Amino acid sequence: MHSLIQLSIVVLLLPLLSFVILIFFNRRLPRRGDFVGVGILGTAFAISLYMFWTVIVQTYDPAFKLAWDFTWIDLGNVPNVGPLKIKMGIVIDNLTVIMLAMVTLISLLVHLYSTGYMAGDKHYGRFFAYLGIFTFSMLGIVLSDNLFSIYMFWELVGLSSYLLIGFFFEKQSAADAQKKAFLTNRVGDIGMWLGILILYSQFHTFGYQEIFNNLAAGKFTMSNAWLTAAGVLLFMGCVGKSAQIPLHIWLPDAMEGPTPVSALIHAATMVAAGVYFVARIFALLTPDALHVIAFCGALTAFMAATIAITQNDIKRVLAYSTVSQLGYMVLGLGVGAYSAALFHLLTHAFFKACLFLGSGAIIHAMHHEQDMRWMGGLRKHMPWTFATFTFATLALAGLPLTSGFMSKDAILASAIGFAKVEGGGIYYIIPVLGFFSAMLTAFYMGRQIWLVFFGESRTHLKPAEEHHGHDAHAAQGGHHGHDDHDAHDEHHGVHEVAWNMRAPLVILASLSVFFVFSPDPLDGAKGWFMHMVQTPQTVVGRYVSEHPKAMVTAETALMAEAVQPEASHAITDASHANAEPAHAAAGNHGEGPVFTDERQAELAHGSHAAHYPAIIISSIMVVIGISMALVVFAFRIIDPDRTAAAIRPLYLFSYNKWYWDEMYEATVIRFSILLSKALSWFDAKIVDGIVNGVAITTRNFAFANGSFDKYVVDGLVNFTAFVVNTTGGILRKFQTGKVQTYVVLALLAVVGYFIYYFTKLIY
Amino acid sequence: MEQLTHIGLNHYLTISAFLLGFGLFAVMTRKNAIVILMGVELILNAANINFLAFSKYNGDMAGVMFSLFVIVLAAAEAAIALAIVINIFKLFRSVDVSSIDTLKE
Repeated sequence: MHSLIQLSIVVLLLPLLSFVILIFFNRRLPRRGDFVGVGILGTAFAISLYMFWTVIVQTYDPAFKLAWDFTWIDLGNVPNVGPLKIKMGIVIDNLTVIMLAMVTLISLLVHLYSTGYMAGDKHYGRFFAYLGIFTFSMLGIVLSDNLFSIYMFWELVGLSSYLLIGFFFEKQSAADAQKKAFLTNRVGDIGMWLGILILYSQFHTFGYQEIFNNLAAGKFTMSNAWLTAAGVLLFMGCVGKSAQIPLHIWLPDAMEGPTPVSALIHAATMVAAGVYFVARIFALLTPDALHVIAFCGALTAFMAATIAITQNDIKRVLAYSTVSQLGYMVLGLGVGAYSAALFHLLTHAFFKACLFLGSGAIIHAMHHEQDMRWMGGLRKHMPWTFATFTFATLALAGLPLTSGFMSKDAILASAIGFAKVEGGGIYYIIPVLGFFSAMLTAFYMGRQIWLVFFGESRTHLKPAEEHHGHDAHAAQGGHHGHDDHDAHDEHHGVHEVAWNMRAPLVILASLSVFFVFSPDPLDGAKGWFMHMVQTPQTVVGRYVSEHPKAMVTAETALMAEAVQPEASHAITDASHANAEPAHAAAGNHGEGPVFTDERQAELAHGSHAAHYPAIIISSIMVVIGISMALVVFAFRIIDPDRTAAAIRPLYLFSYNKWYWDEMYEATVIRFSILLSKALSWFDAKIVDGIVNGVAITTRNFAFANGSFDKYVVDGLVNFTAFVVNTTGGILRKFQTGKVQTYVVLALLAVVGYFIYYFTKLIY
Repeated sequence: MEQLTHIGLNHYLTISAFLLGFGLFAVMTRKNAIVILMGVELILNAANINFLAFSKYNGDMAGVMFSLFVIVLAAAEAAIALAIVINIFKLFRSVDVSSIDTLKE
């Protein structure tokens, strides 16, 4: 076993160790054992950093890959199917190593931050235990080399998310939110499992590489539609976990969890698991499946951005912004911008974690006030939080010199290229939605910054009844031991947070600067990430050869070149010219031995060509967005309230989150309730009726049987006893105990005998 | 008349039957255990008369031998029975057989 594999197993199991120690012994440890969680995550991060150093810095090889597996369950030779085995294993490539470092770093920072944020909570130790099990599951997803184990860790992640969302389970809203999150995720997971089963039924293996090899070898025997279906079904897992339309509804509600959890799970890592999973199976997605993914992502990005504009809760704005950014990543994968999407995943993880932890610091300082309408003027009180929050906001909005700029523009450039390659028309919706969302992002983040940090404090404007209305938050405050502060003078108590909450903010903000990822602030493709994570070769080229834009060629040279946008210019152009003959050749000879997807090459080329237009358009969009925010909220040239009143239907549409919850309430939930009522009626009347009928029949039969037993059988027994008793009663009269009676009887017997004898003798 | 005057076997048997009847009557009706024993002696002697009568009319000595044995037996029986009566008396302070009914049930 390679030493890196061993190290990765250690990294995987360390958080589990933390969980086991803390869940059982946190009450016996000093400080409820928070140092165990922080220490173990620190160790895990150190090991991940060493792996990162070895693989990314020293090896610096795009094709680096290590794999190790073992047979976990051997089902033996199943009749009519053949030998079945379930393997477990670990695959380590550049993406894995980067994700390992990212997850352990953010988890470590969140652990550290929680020692401040959660201090005084009555379940303080348990919180760290849950963070441990979550980190374990997330690392499991990252390291898995097959669909089966990723599904297991996927569910574990869902479980830990459930536990952490409902951490303040005394609050009804938190308990509702955790159920909503779990159930919504289940819907996606069912699709994902069906997708896994489609592939398993074909190849009898769960391993990514084995499935890819089998697909590339043309062993998929069902129709191509099934392959697309498998891809879309697998994507459903991502729709659930990464909060895409239509299953995004759980993520904003998940903000009921403690804010560090929102940062770790519902912004940086878990929700990115869906994107990571789609990246893992990227090679088997057919162009049709990719189109579904692209449209889903684009719609999600746009919808969430429009909703974020009107939300008042600081965490909800960030939650919808997360949904929007996840939409970008999914859009990126859909348009074939594999590395750009993952790049955005990484940069987003840092700046969104920073934003959430910053919002946590604000909430902490404001004594659990989450409504931005009653904040304001915090920059003077919280300079560190202000600086880091603002920088992360700029990264999220996508201003140049930030990491978010590079990754978002890489995706948008690919979206433009994609639309061109697909022949324009309806496909231009995707980049248009992307750019529009970028503008909206800049707008709502500008609004948030302004409402929270600038202007004067508006705490006193809060209506009196709202104080009582927000007692739910006060109850939450009770967990933190802050409810001794009077709500009215809370603004006097606003202060910068302690170092253990400030340090993670600074680290995460500094990781959002462009030079961490690329020397050129305008082009992420020049950075190490885009070099190390490159689009994998598709393995479905042969199945989609009828697709006009996905032609199978036999040119092996193209394969190596096509994935490198730098050099692909000339060769792609050349291959463009002879694509038709190559297609014809493929048609003649069946399948070529090597599968080079012309489509992928074209997409890479298109993305490269659209690089500068994308930069320009998106910068303009961002500037428009920020200036609009300034115009509306800083200079008050346009009054936001009057504008909202003027476009009230639109405002309400956004404020009520596109009525998704109401729609589900009216359709799926109502249908479910009706169905369960009908089933309940059926159960109570029909099933119970049958059962009760059987019971009554049985009882009557038993009653008859009992009567027979009582009167007939017992009667016989008693009659026998009666006869014996009567006979005995008669016979006992003869036994007087007096000798003379016996003599008389003996004499009578003898006389009787003689009479009998002689009578017989005579006749 | 000869039948009446000549003493034959039937006369013996008749005497014997009467003796047996008296004996049985005594055994069955008397309350005193000693009187019952006397009744038993009557029965034994009725049997002896039968033996002797049959012996005489049969012309051999087997009946005589039997009656001698019975007399001896009766002596032994009387000894044992009186001993039993004495023990009964010791136990119940009475030789009234009608009051001795511990065998009952």
